[in-house]
Amino acid sequence: MGTLSRYLRIWIASAKYSLVRATMFRGDLFIWASVELLWISVNVIMVTVIYSHTNTVAGWSMYEMLLLVGTSMLIQRFLMGFFWSGIFEMGRNVRTGHFDFVLAQPGDPLFMASTRKLELDGLLNSVVAAGLVIYSARKLGLHPGAADIALYAAMVACGVVIHYSALVMAMSLAFWITSAQGVEGSYFTLMEFSRLPREAFKRGIATVVFVWALPVVVVSNAPARALLHGFEPLWALGLCAATLAWFALAVFVFRSGLKRYTSASS
Amino acid sequence: MTKYGQAFLAGLQSNLVYRWNFAVRSLFWFFHLVVVFILWGAAYAGNPTIGGYTFKQTLTYFVVIFVLQFFVGAFNEDYQISEDIRNGLINQFLLKPINYFAYRLSVFTAARVVSGAFGVLALAVALPFFRGYLELPHDGWRIALGVPAMILTGVIQFSIAYCFGLMAFWFLEIQGFVILSMAVETLLGGQIVPLDLLPPAVFNVVRFLPFSYEAYFPTAILTGRMGFDMAVQGLAIQAFWAFVMVCLAEAVWRRGLRRHTAAGG
Repeated sequence: MGTLSRYLRIWIASAKYSLVRATMFRGDLFIWASVELLWISVNVIMVTVIYSHTNTVAGWSMYEMLLLVGTSMLIQRFLMGFFWSGIFEMGRNVRTGHFDFVLAQPGDPLFMASTRKLELDGLLNSVVAAGLVIYSARKLGLHPGAADIALYAAMVACGVVIHYSALVMAMSLAFWITSAQGVEGSYFTLMEFSRLPREAFKRGIATVVFVWALPVVVVSNAPARALLHGFEPLWALGLCAATLAWFALAVFVFRSGLKRYTSASS
Repeated sequence: MTKYGQAFLAGLQSNLVYRWNFAVRSLFWFFHLVVVFILWGAAYAGNPTIGGYTFKQTLTYFVVIFVLQFFVGAFNEDYQISEDIRNGLINQFLLKPINYFAYRLSVFTAARVVSGAFGVLALAVALPFFRGYLELPHDGWRIALGVPAMILTGVIQFSIAYCFGLMAFWFLEIQGFVILSMAVETLLGGQIVPLDLLPPAVFNVVRFLPFSYEAYFPTAILTGRMGFDMAVQGLAIQAFWAFVMVCLAEAVWRRGLRRHTAAGG
């Protein structure tokens, strides 16, 4: 318990610093918040245009699809708000030797590296993504109870952990190959799959890779389905298992990489 | 060989150094195409046509628009130009009889030759998977009008990237503006959905904006989504926008130089 509260205090201190920094560069915050808002809008417009020509996509109606897109965006915005900058800088810091600074801090290196910075623009847009989910749910006539909302929130949290783990693993490559450039692009490309309904995947290699091997489809579909259809044990258990497996793998890869770290020019 | 020919050759060499970046980009393109295939495949299930076009025609549209980006799309020219300004490297161009726009355009052309080659390579890899879904019209006039449309698309894309790069004269960090503009250009350029699927009233406005000439227009000509008369009219509008963008780039350059203090370099 003492350890937990110590880490909470460290995180609050980092969050306070990030918030002060964000308010110092208000123009920058406005631009980046607009960027994310615009990209959410682009996805909503795409769905709207497709559904102006058809009633269903893989058995999903327009508002069900918007709920899925909103959920996918919510997970992505939480990842970007809470962890993106810290994890992204990790690769560069390993290459330059500035990772020493993280190792000298009073806490677990993975925690210290990945929670150093809070991005306010990502968090502001998570409100927009949540708004899209609520709007879609209302249009669908859904009236989720407290337990349904708690289940949805827990599944979104699982999704964030899976995305976090995937990003940590990708960035940990910097311990071996010194440069993990291009990871940003690969992350956003894979995120595109999370806006597709599971039912759109027919048999084939794409299903094996993007549904079973990489949980990019499951992370968004499982919470969206929980709101739409209530608790489905298979989806919930699958998501929990994937979360534990991916997080354990990420910690293992990070710690293995850390053993290779030899400070500057490693 | 002119100085810009030399710049082209130097650009060719420096871009070949980054061949792996282009290869990785080609891989992303392939994944993106898989997303398009799955999404539109599901949308077309039970619908023989959408907006008057078959699934094959729509998939062909996306394949062509993506390949086109490898040949004429501006990738990171805005960033390179802003770095020249920020690091003071631009000073050397001010002291020599070199037009910076022409120099950058030469390097951009060289980069597109290299990325275009990778685009063709990516297409060759993707073709066995998508061959049965591609359907290109065979009218000769489409090539005759499509090629100049592609060149003008390159000029418009480059000029816009050039203007954004020059914003470094005013702002320390331009990446936010670039990505903001990218979202607008991607949507109104027809890379998210074919513009002709927008409501007619919206399409009739969008088709007069410069963005639709950044990708949609040449693709629509080459993939049969546009008739001859509309293509000729569109080519005139595109030439107008290309001219406006080049003039705008020159104007921004002149204004920017007034603020430049030539520090560093």
